[in-house]
Amino acid sequence: MPPLFIRLRIMAYSHFGYGQRFAVQLGRNWVVLFLVILVVLFSFTGRGFFSPKTLNNILLTSSPALLLAAGETFVIITGGIDLSVGFVRGLISVISAIIMRDLYARGYSPSFCIPLGIVVGLALGLLPGLINGILVARFRVPPFIATLGMYGVANGFALRFSKGFPITFLPPEVGQIGNGFFAYFLPGRGLSFFARHADIVEGEMRNLIGIVPYAIVVVAVLLLIFAFILSRTQFGQHVYAIGGNIDAARRAGIPVERDLIRVYMISSFFAALSGVMYTLIFSIGTHTQFSASLELFAIAAVVIGGASLMGGKGSIGGTTLGVLVLALLEIGFLMSGILPFYRYIAVGTILIFAVVIDQTFPEIIYE
Amino acid sequence: MVLSEKGRERLYLLGKSWIFLFLLGEAVIFSFIGTGFFSAKNFQNILVASTTILLLAAGETFVIITGGIDLSVGFVMGLFCVISAKIIVSLQALGFSPVVSLVVSIAGTLLLGLLPGLLNGVLVAKLRVPPFIATFGMYGIAYGLSEILCNNVPIAGLPSLVGFIGNGYLLYYLPGRGFTWFAPPEGLGRGEVRALLALFPNVFLFAILVVLIFAFILSRTQFGQHVYAIGGNIDAARRAGIPVERDLIRVYMISSFFAALSGVMYTLRFVTGRADAGSARMLDSVVAVVIGGASLYGGTGNMIGSIIGTLVIGVLETGMVNLGLPTYNKYVYVGVILVLAVLIDQFFPEMVRKGE
Repeated sequence: MPPLFIRLRIMAYSHFGYGQRFAVQLGRNWVVLFLVILVVLFSFTGRGFFSPKTLNNILLTSSPALLLAAGETFVIITGGIDLSVGFVRGLISVISAIIMRDLYARGYSPSFCIPLGIVVGLALGLLPGLINGILVARFRVPPFIATLGMYGVANGFALRFSKGFPITFLPPEVGQIGNGFFAYFLPGRGLSFFARHADIVEGEMRNLIGIVPYAIVVVAVLLLIFAFILSRTQFGQHVYAIGGNIDAARRAGIPVERDLIRVYMISSFFAALSGVMYTLIFSIGTHTQFSASLELFAIAAVVIGGASLMGGKGSIGGTTLGVLVLALLEIGFLMSGILPFYRYIAVGTILIFAVVIDQTFPEIIYE
Repeated sequence: MVLSEKGRERLYLLGKSWIFLFLLGEAVIFSFIGTGFFSAKNFQNILVASTTILLLAAGETFVIITGGIDLSVGFVMGLFCVISAKIIVSLQALGFSPVVSLVVSIAGTLLLGLLPGLLNGVLVAKLRVPPFIATFGMYGIAYGLSEILCNNVPIAGLPSLVGFIGNGYLLYYLPGRGFTWFAPPEGLGRGEVRALLALFPNVFLFAILVVLIFAFILSRTQFGQHVYAIGGNIDAARRAGIPVERDLIRVYMISSFFAALSGVMYTLRFVTGRADAGSARMLDSVVAVVIGGASLYGGTGNMIGSIIGTLVIGVLETGMVNLGLPTYNKYVYVGVILVLAVLIDQFFPEMVRKGE
């Protein structure tokens, strides 16, 4: 008897017959379909699901995950995996917050210590990726092990710097940057750019609508840049080639080691950016809890978005869809009054489901 | 590397035993800078502290030898820690005696504990989902389920019998009054309590017993041979007529059985059911197996190696606690040791595999 996954395929196709083309389309776009179903479902179960505020919330909740997942996309396309992103994010959040807090406490102006915290955090954020990349590319350590080691190291350092407590007492301007909007709209008083309307009365605060948060703009711009790099540059082509067949890539003269190191640096840069953004949005620096499992969600999003852990395929666009599915699940569950822990079950199930589809119907992805 | 036959033999021995030397080195360092390292009490503390890693690593050994990985063990452990505590509490509320509810809970938990492994195994063996993803999915599912079961609050209200067993010792020795089994002699004076010597912690004793049984299964039975064959070359194993799918499912069930057992042990020791009981331990267990000489590509590894790997982490952890060092440094060291172990494996294959 053929293995189960072959039997499943035979079953599916004997039923579809002429509908194979339809099946292929369905399989390819099941994430989009799923997203639509989720939106419809939650618009029934959650009150006020369709509102600018919910949309903003979905975008804001997903932005840190989106950053981690975008970096992870590069790594997974090369056939690797980066397990350290969650803790690198926590480490950089703590470091940037400590820099801001300590300089501010010594009397430096916020306009000096906030940019310094951001820049130093991002620069240090390249380091874990450099080490991961060197271990993977030059020393041929399996990516899983190299980044699992970094997972421990980053978590240890984050706990050491923060002593297990969130870093607080940052300059108050931090939150204004992190939670700021490009424009504010107040009914009856019109638009105001970059800052709230002057002399707002207490009652008017509730009607104030923020338009386009800074955080989302930063994320969107970076995603577009890196989507361009992945799909339109030579480096991006190399990333796919390495994931497709690393030996062939090497023989074709692709600088595999250099490119792999860059890929891991991109991943940890995105993790660092996510950490800095956390600090800016919440005005605290916090190490990541073990149970937060951020790397689970990042990897799940990439895989749901159509990447294969064997390497060679995946895209930033697909990953963005994957992240939106997960963010929608989180917000939708919350608004429908379902315990947030069901999200973990849903994510785990969807992840397995995505890979089973990928595994059982390969022609859905490669025609 | 060009080496004489003798030099190659020596390198091989060093490669096989460097982790043992490392363990010895740790013991020497801690005995110099710490106090009371060489005492029966401290050694037993190390063993008790390592019980969780030992059990998780034992199951993980099987999975890693087949070339897979089980990322779900930490949260599966948490899930069954919660389930076992929950069963005890609810049976007690129904009016059963502590003994009955404890026995039913342990048996039920271990039985249910096979389920996540069955699912993982079917996904990996039958549906060809990469082990990494199948068990990562289970990781999310197990965590979600356990938090829902305990409502995000540790389960309390367990009978004192649980802690009595979990923190008890097999033998108690009081100078001048001899040995007693299972419980300290009654009516002790204040001075006598300090002199009381407790030997063989129950939890560790039970854990090592189960681990040794599975060490036997791995090294001496046909199933054990199949596990190595699958890890060495899965296609060759299939062609040789080994029931690969059945054996793989069993391997994942063994792993989740050990995770469930570890969850029960946690409940016994800490008299509470926590969803995050094992969350930090998945890394430790993989590290213990890898520094114990297993390769993530499958085909190599053994239980003794995993036990020594466990002790390396256990000694490090306990030693740092005794020195009053904050334990978070441990994560850094464990991460570094992990990468070091794989680098040695990578660069000196002749140290690990004979005749290359």
